[in-house]
Amino acid sequence: MTTWWQIILLSALAFWMIIDQLTVCWISNPLCIGMISGLIMGNLQTGLIVGATLQLMVLGVSTYGGASMPDFLTGAIIGTVYAVGANKGTQFAIGLAVPVGLLMVQLDVLARFTNTIFQKRIDRFITQNKPQAAGRNAYLGLFTWGISRGLPVFVLLIVGNRMIKNVLATVPTWLTNGLKVSGGILPVVGIAILLRYLPTKKYFSYLLIGFIAAAYLKLPMLGVALLGLALALLNYQRKQTQSQTSNSHNTEYENEAGEYEN
Amino acid sequence: MKTNENTPLTKHDLFRANWRWLWASQLSWNYEKMMAPGYFYTVLPFLRRFYPQDDELVEMMQMHNQFFNTNAFTGPFIIGMDLAIENRKGYAAKDTVAGIKTGLMGPLASVGDTIFGVIIPTIFGSIGAYMGLKGSPIGAILWLLVNLIIFVLRFAILPLGFYQGQKLLDSAEGKLNLVTDSAILLGLTVVGALIPTVITAHVPFVFQAGKVTLHLQTVLNQIMPSLVPALLVALVYWLLGKKHVTATKVILFVLVLGVVLSYCHILG
Repeated sequence: MTTWWQIILLSALAFWMIIDQLTVCWISNPLCIGMISGLIMGNLQTGLIVGATLQLMVLGVSTYGGASMPDFLTGAIIGTVYAVGANKGTQFAIGLAVPVGLLMVQLDVLARFTNTIFQKRIDRFITQNKPQAAGRNAYLGLFTWGISRGLPVFVLLIVGNRMIKNVLATVPTWLTNGLKVSGGILPVVGIAILLRYLPTKKYFSYLLIGFIAAAYLKLPMLGVALLGLALALLNYQRKQTQSQTSNSHNTEYENEAGEYEN
Repeated sequence: MKTNENTPLTKHDLFRANWRWLWASQLSWNYEKMMAPGYFYTVLPFLRRFYPQDDELVEMMQMHNQFFNTNAFTGPFIIGMDLAIENRKGYAAKDTVAGIKTGLMGPLASVGDTIFGVIIPTIFGSIGAYMGLKGSPIGAILWLLVNLIIFVLRFAILPLGFYQGQKLLDSAEGKLNLVTDSAILLGLTVVGALIPTVITAHVPFVFQAGKVTLHLQTVLNQIMPSLVPALLVALVYWLLGKKHVTATKVILFVLVLGVVLSYCHILG
C-alpha cells in the first residue's frame, strides 16, 4: 500500500511539522499537512479533503498557554494514507484520523513532560556557571518533540501496511456509514469552540450576516471574507471617530470644571 | 568609577536575538518553567557580553531562567525592551527587567494568541478548507504565502520593542484593541458563512402516508437552508458552555452522535 520511501518521507514530515509549529509556523496546519501528505501519496485531492475537514475541526483550538490540543497534524497524515490506500472514501478515513489525533495528545503531554529533564540540566549548569552547556540544553528539546510525532507515524505506517487491510475487512457496514456521517458533521466542533472563544454574543449580528450570505445568497467564501473586511473597516472607522469625539468632549468638560473652580 | 554602559547593540545584534528566539523559544518548552529555556537561550550571548564578572553573570542567568510564557510571535517585543534596558543600565536593572518580563508576558500573549492563534487561522483556514474540500490547493497555498509574509514581519517586532520601549505599548494599546476588535468581527462573518458550506448533514428520512411521500430534507430547506448544521453548531456551542465539558469529550460525542444518527437513518 505504502512504499518504503513514502513511509520515510511521511515520518520526516511528522518530525518536522511539530518543530515547524514551535518555531517558524510555515506549514503546521492540518490543511497544509494533508496537502503535502497527499502529494507524497500521489493523490493531492484526497490529501486536501482530509486536511480541510480536520482543519475545520481545529479552527478555534490553539495550543497556546501550554495546553495540549488534539493532534490533527498527525491525524492528517494518517487519515490521508488511509484514505488513499484503503479506498473506503475520505469521510471514513477522517472518522479514523480523529481517534488517532485524540490519542496523540498523550504523546504531546509526554514530550512536554520529558523536556523538564533539560530544564533541570539548565538550572544546574547555570549554578555551575557553564553558560554554553546550559544554552545547549535549551534546544535539545528538538529531539523529544520531533520523535513524539515522527516515531508514532513511522510505527503506524509500518504496522499499517500489513494490518490495515485486515482491520478494514472486519469493520461492519453500519460503522463505516456512521463514521462517514460523523466525518461530515465533525467541523461543527471547531466552529463551536471558536464561537466560544470569540465574543460571539456581542457580535452575533456579524455571524448572522455571514450565514445569510452563504446559505441564502450562495456567496463564495472569498466574497464573504471581503464582505467581512468591509464591515471590519466600517467598524474601525466608526470606533475611531467615536473615541476622538469622546476625547474632545472630555477636554471640554475639564475646561468647564476648571471655570467653575475659578 | 566604573560605568555600566555597554557599547550599544547594533541592528545585527537584534536580528541575532530574533533568530535565536525564533528557533529556541519553544523547543525545550516544559511544564515547569515553560518558555524559560527559550528566553534564556535568546539573551545568553548578550548576558555574556554585558556581565564580564562571574557572580553577576550567574545571577542574571538565573533571573532569565525563571518561569516565562507568552506568545511566540509577540514575545520578542519584551526581549527588545529587555535588551535596551540591560544594554544601558546593566546589572542595576535586574529587578526592572524581571518586572517587565512578568508584567508584559500576559498582555502580549493575549494580543498574540488572538491575532496569530485564532483570527489568522480562522480566516485563512476557512478559505483554505473551503477550497480544499472542493479539491483545490489554491487556498492552502495562499495560507502558506501568508505564513511566509508573517514570518518575515516577525523580525520587526523585536526592534520595535528595543527602540520604542514601554511608552509605545501604552499609547498603542488602544489602537491595538481596536484592530483586534475589527479583526474579530471579520472572523465571525467568515465563521457564519462556514456553517452552511462545510458541514455535511443530509437528512434522508422520508414520510410515507398512503400515496403522499414527504422528504424531510425538503421541508427543512423550506424552513431555513442549512437548518441542521446551524442547530448542530448551537447544540455543541451550548454543550461547551457546560462545566467539565472539554473539546476532546465534545469531539467524541459528535463522533458517536454521527454513528447513532446514521444508524437510525436520520442523517446519511
